[in-house]
Amino acid sequence: MTATDRRPRDRTDRPAPAPRTGLGARLGDLAMGVRFAVTGGREGWARTLLTALGVGLGVTLLLAAASVPHLLQSREDRGRARTPADAAQTVHRADNTLLTATADTVFRGDTVHGTLLHPDGARPPAPPGVRDVPGPGEMVVSPALRELLASPQGKLLRDRLDDRITGTIGDAGLVGPGELTYYAGSDTLTTEAGAHRVASFGARSEAEPLDPVLFVLLLVACVVLLTPVALFIATAVRFGGERRDRRLAALRLIGADARTTRWIAAGEALFGAVCGLVAGAGLFLLGRQFIGAVTVWEVNAFPADLTPVPALAALIAVAVPLAAVAVTLFALRGVTIEPLGVVRNAVTRRRRMWWRLPLPVAGLGILLLAGEFQQQDEAAPPFMIASGTVLVLLGIALLLPWAVEASAARLRGGPVPWQLATRRLQLSSGGAARAVSGITVAVAGAIALQMVFAAIQGDFMKITGQDGRRAQLNLSLPTADVSTTRQMISDFRKTEGVRAIIAGIEADAARPGPRRTGEPFVPRTQFTVGDCPSLREMARIGSCRDGDVFVVHDSTGMVDDAYIGQTARPGKQVIFNLDSRTDEPDGPPRLWTVPKTARTVDSRKDPAGETRFGIFATPAAVDTGLLAAPVARAMVRTDPRVPDAAEYVRNTAARIDPLMSVDTLQNLQRDKNYASVRTGLLIASAATMALIAASMLVSMVEQLRERRRLLSVLVAFGTRRATLGWSVLWQTALPVGLGLALAVAGGSGLGVALLRLVGKSDPDWSVLWPPVATGAGLVLLVTLVSLPPLWRMMRPDGLRTE
Amino acid sequence: MTPAGSLLAARDLRKAYGRTSALDGVDFSVHPGEVVAVMGPSGSGKSTLLHCLAGIVRPDSGTVHYDGHVLTAESDARRSALRRRDFGFVFQFGQLVPELTCLENVALPLRLNGAKRRAAEATAREWLGRLEVDDVHGKRPGEISGGQGQRVAVARALAVRPRVLFADEPTGALDSLNGERVMTLLTDAARDTRAAVVLVTHEPRVAAYADREVVVRDGTARELAGTA
Repeated sequence: MTATDRRPRDRTDRPAPAPRTGLGARLGDLAMGVRFAVTGGREGWARTLLTALGVGLGVTLLLAAASVPHLLQSREDRGRARTPADAAQTVHRADNTLLTATADTVFRGDTVHGTLLHPDGARPPAPPGVRDVPGPGEMVVSPALRELLASPQGKLLRDRLDDRITGTIGDAGLVGPGELTYYAGSDTLTTEAGAHRVASFGARSEAEPLDPVLFVLLLVACVVLLTPVALFIATAVRFGGERRDRRLAALRLIGADARTTRWIAAGEALFGAVCGLVAGAGLFLLGRQFIGAVTVWEVNAFPADLTPVPALAALIAVAVPLAAVAVTLFALRGVTIEPLGVVRNAVTRRRRMWWRLPLPVAGLGILLLAGEFQQQDEAAPPFMIASGTVLVLLGIALLLPWAVEASAARLRGGPVPWQLATRRLQLSSGGAARAVSGITVAVAGAIALQMVFAAIQGDFMKITGQDGRRAQLNLSLPTADVSTTRQMISDFRKTEGVRAIIAGIEADAARPGPRRTGEPFVPRTQFTVGDCPSLREMARIGSCRDGDVFVVHDSTGMVDDAYIGQTARPGKQVIFNLDSRTDEPDGPPRLWTVPKTARTVDSRKDPAGETRFGIFATPAAVDTGLLAAPVARAMVRTDPRVPDAAEYVRNTAARIDPLMSVDTLQNLQRDKNYASVRTGLLIASAATMALIAASMLVSMVEQLRERRRLLSVLVAFGTRRATLGWSVLWQTALPVGLGLALAVAGGSGLGVALLRLVGKSDPDWSVLWPPVATGAGLVLLVTLVSLPPLWRMMRPDGLRTE
Repeated sequence: MTPAGSLLAARDLRKAYGRTSALDGVDFSVHPGEVVAVMGPSGSGKSTLLHCLAGIVRPDSGTVHYDGHVLTAESDARRSALRRRDFGFVFQFGQLVPELTCLENVALPLRLNGAKRRAAEATAREWLGRLEVDDVHGKRPGEISGGQGQRVAVARALAVRPRVLFADEPTGALDSLNGERVMTLLTDAARDTRAAVVLVTHEPRVAAYADREVVVRDGTARELAGTA
């Protein structure tokens, strides 16, 4: 037998190769998909690029979110490292100790952290980031402060911080690169003036534990902010799917079965996702180099602070490509890729509600089962809260395609743009629903969070009682003799932008003579000296002239009025220097008679929210030299027409005493943690909203790209630009409208469940509007931004077929 | 100067895409009710000529006159309005709006011209009947055959009763039987309404339906002898 004889038999006898099955086959298909993505020419790369861009943006945000724990920890660590150690304990003066005092100030709303240092010996401890402790008249500053002081904008601050700059604080001594910080040398610092003696820096105090209610908020916020990102990534891996399906149809011609084409498609998506992962990591690494330049609500960080937790980074690296494969396989379930380039929906399956509704219901059920807990007394069940919230939000995202399809099916008639939009939705609403699912979830989450915030803010806000309309600044004047104090007040009065000073010199006044039977101590009360306008801010004195005296009763009922009555008796004497421990005068008795003409009036809260009572005297009525241990209080009313009035006042204060604090009077004071959580949420939701806008825009442009030829044809027969523009708007607005309605319903439900969890009821429904308005604004923005690409795609180039 | 009695005439049209010259001094004219086939190999500039004639693309130089208007001097809005009102278009593929039914597709240009929906759909139904596809009026383009789709496109182009019908490879995606049927219906309907037809094709079989043939090659046009 010859070889030639054998050949035909070989051909016929050889068993047909069995179709490849199993994991190896699927991996092979995936690899082929990756090859197609790489070698697919311009179109393949365009698709890969779109997916990579979308996934990249999502991955960047995920990596940023995964870096938050490290960022917070790093900031906390550096903040603690520069806090004087053992400030609460007594440290004996030694060669290696120094005196330190806080001299923070505020410049145009930004806090400038200041510390005064006075070495006790030759080897004082240097704060982190500082090489040598600055001497008197010298200071070391943070780079941001150095820049500010050198700029024309910093001129006013330079007047306040006029020491010679001898060095720059290193990164180790700063919480963030944009922080305004200085250490200044001082030769006048004393423990009596409020300084602490320390031997080293680095506080060992534990961080303040987070309130369980805030913990719930943080947990829900993470879910609310990251769910849209996950949805966005799932959407991004489907970019350009229709074109890809048409291309894959060619594979059916050469014998690929439907499953193979699906896995090849998944391979393409996988490649796009991996590119996106790389792009996202690159974008993240690039972006974090500039993080120092960004300061949001006084928070900024060094690039190294933005380091993802390794486990979370690994999870992102694995989950994103896997999600790309899973989403593609899932999306292609209902699509049959046929040979000859025909792609049809296998069966026109109507979306069903029955399996979608249980998800949010189950989520709400879990949240309700999680029970109710009060602040500070028990830990929140994190798993139940997180899973319940995820289920509700995912349920909303799943209900949306059904809602869009069911609603679009009922829409009839209308003008041409409306008809084009509604018909498009009727034909294929999945893409539109996917595009807006992110915004729906974000708005639902925002509504729920806002409801909780609105309900609990009372618990985390303190009404200070201060009245920022009557005075704007509160000064803590240093202890001094009355004439010096008067000089200080005069200095402030002459400061630019100061309209009035509300000042009082205060001392104690007691009834002269021994303690009487039954008295636990000698009655005493406050004695305040001030001009008529100042006294008018502290009591309802009516008419007033210099020389007048008033007996002021406490109108709040907090003070036993009997003591005021027993001390401040018109026509009788009071003593200023009665020692409260011995009931004996401290030196020769300093006596003064309350004039018989003294009128009795009621007190009123001063602008700082304090209530003063006792004896009020105008300067001509008393020799202030009689007062023992007088202290001064002053508030400043500034001229609103002088924008830097507060800065001029602070400069005057710094000239008098660098340790003098100048505080802004404010009606409300927020809890620090509450404020941090709220600030963090604002930053994160801004990033999420930006991502959602980008997602919608990319989806819209992608959809327009798919319809490029059709758009050109429509233009060829004279369709107005406005007609197509309106159709794009309706096409976005309809799903978004439905999405927002769903978000309002779902978000309110979630909000009510969360409120119950934190023991609150009576939701504030007005919080619904801002997120809804933001969502609607986003739609308008996306439509506006997508108009230029729309105009571009309406060019006749799309008609060319050769 | 335009040739006497011509409805649409182009003179010395030049158009380049980058360094590639698509039209290099083309003269062209068509009279009312006349069917002119523009022939030529792929890439010869046939479609560019059609786009310039229809005011879709502005030529680099040269003029297009239409019924007393200098089309090349008109604004984009005016040219769009003219295309809506006076011109009809049939392309090779991808021209029907996939989400609209066939009836809605045919009614679309009428509605863009301001017609009420009911009136537009009544006219559309009539034209679907004339093009022998009234049975697909409720279907979407994805649910009908290529031949049916092309007839719907012809119905859409003729429904506005255009004075000029531009057809760019209208049978390019059809088999010969379907192609012939479409061409018969298209030219018959055009002649019935006295619409001029500019028919771009590279198939002599399709060009045979025309009264006259113009060949475009390397950006220049010349009349084919014996067809005028």
